[in-house]
Amino acid sequence: MPAPRRARTRLACGLAATAVAAVLALAPLAAVTGPLREALAWVAGLALVLAAAAALRLGSLLGPALVVLLAEYTVVLVRRGDRVDAAAPLVGAGLLLYAELASWAREARPRVRDEQPVLVTRAIVVAASALAALGLGVLVLLAAALPAGGGLARLAIGVVATTLTIALVAVVARPMSTRAPRG
Amino acid sequence: MTRRPSAKIAAYVGVAALALLAGLALGRPELVAVAAPLAVLVVAGLAGARDPELAAEVTVDRERALVDDQVTVTLALRAGTRVERLEVLLVVPPGMDGPDGASRTWATAVALAAGEERALAIQLTCRRWGAYWLGDVHLRAHDRFRLFTWERHLDRHAPLKVFPVPETLRSLVRPAETLVSTGSHVAPQRGDGIEFADLRPFLPGDRPRSINWRATARRGGLMVNQRHPERATDVVLFLDSFLDVHGPTGSTLDRAVGAAASLAAAYLRQRDRVGLVTFGGFVQWLQPGGGQTALYRLLDTLMETQVFATAAWKGIRHLPPRTLPAKALIVALTPLVDERGVAALFDLLARGYDLAVVDISPLTQAGPGGGDWGGLAQRLWALERETLRHRYQRLGAAVVEWPDALHLQQVLLEVEACRRRAGLAPG
Repeated sequence: MPAPRRARTRLACGLAATAVAAVLALAPLAAVTGPLREALAWVAGLALVLAAAAALRLGSLLGPALVVLLAEYTVVLVRRGDRVDAAAPLVGAGLLLYAELASWAREARPRVRDEQPVLVTRAIVVAASALAALGLGVLVLLAAALPAGGGLARLAIGVVATTLTIALVAVVARPMSTRAPRG
Repeated sequence: MTRRPSAKIAAYVGVAALALLAGLALGRPELVAVAAPLAVLVVAGLAGARDPELAAEVTVDRERALVDDQVTVTLALRAGTRVERLEVLLVVPPGMDGPDGASRTWATAVALAAGEERALAIQLTCRRWGAYWLGDVHLRAHDRFRLFTWERHLDRHAPLKVFPVPETLRSLVRPAETLVSTGSHVAPQRGDGIEFADLRPFLPGDRPRSINWRATARRGGLMVNQRHPERATDVVLFLDSFLDVHGPTGSTLDRAVGAAASLAAAYLRQRDRVGLVTFGGFVQWLQPGGGQTALYRLLDTLMETQVFATAAWKGIRHLPPRTLPAKALIVALTPLVDERGVAALFDLLARGYDLAVVDISPLTQAGPGGGDWGGLAQRLWALERETLRHRYQRLGAAVVEWPDALHLQQVLLEVEACRRRAGLAPG
């Protein structure tokens, strides 16, 4: 029976994404105590609900879910003081993994039967992206630890990178019509 | 193909921008480490996204099929560049079943390497007669990181005509009058033929082989056999498509079209000429013709029969005169529901046509009404229909009700018996 198998792919990706989001939402709670922990628990709950909804039902909630998860992590980061969080690459990779799995769950429509090579390739790309994200995060942290240049140079690089990233939003978020040879 | 960014691209870039801003503002490199993968993935996706070169062709393995036949729609794909994931969605038209049963769409996702050619064969089952256009296909290609989709709708449709399964008919309604051309119906006139008609005294010019020697011996003078010649006839099938009554076992129009196709094939096998008038909101007619060509023309016209709601019907007087030849046998297939159809049959009778009416009963399709009033309404309706049939019979038409359970052959035998009683058919 092909239909249940197709539904299984969607459900498996959605549940896996929710599990990753749960880890991302709950892990920071261990780093804080007191009233902040209680407040963060509410944020974690909201993040989890948004993440599950984005993965299982409403794809448009992916952005808000990522933002809330990021906000929760930022609060914990600020509370840490000056110590660099060595787990940041894991958080980055986790966020990417969650987003990719959630997107895959939305993409795996129950009516569409994916051939085996398509599923295998997709799984490889997602796994490789998460690993690459982990490596990239480590590189960024290592680069940040290097005593190279003054604060102004780093700030300039950061501002340029941020500006370019925001400019990307305007470039890519519009439909474009292109022609292809008609068969 | 139309390229569209996916929803996640905005989410990734937005979150990456927020994280970078927060990292800058708070002086935390960890936030940059979190943002970098999202931003890099978008940049890599943008750099690698190329419009896919894709050629597609839809073909159907045949142009004609019978109800319950399976047809294969083949979608030939040829990729000029690598396509990571290509969703193919075929729209299954109403009246056909896809590989997944009664679902109106069938979809799959494939990966194509550069230069790869792939043929997807999709089996469709024809569930209802009709003229179809197959090949309504939607294609959606994805890039490796699923940041963009390219969509295209294939508008090259392949025609398919699905004919109803012809019923085996051993006997048909015989016409009251025949043409002069040779056929299979025993004409009431005397002439050369096989069927014995009468005896008469020998006349000069009679062929010796016609002499009936036994009668000659008994009567003492030369007697010859007279015979009925076999002649062809014109048959016009009159199809009432003003209304279609649907039910769990089918619809009245389905039965009418199936019966018309079976009758046309059977009469044409007997070398008769068969014409067609589908009278409903959209009037179509075919002048009587013979042979295989006429059969296909007739079936093609039948397959396009549909119910159109219109008030523009002006009666049969607007039909070309040659569509209804004077000596033609008209077999009307009607549910006797729409008053315009009922009036058209009275009009034909008033013009002196040889008319046989097969009343395709909609009572089964309509089903019993709910409650006591529903049952009463159905009984009243049945009585009204019976009264109408009696009115036709009084005017000289043979009218027989065709309940859902009966085979067409049984109905035709009943029509023939009715015509014999009325003296319209040779006994």
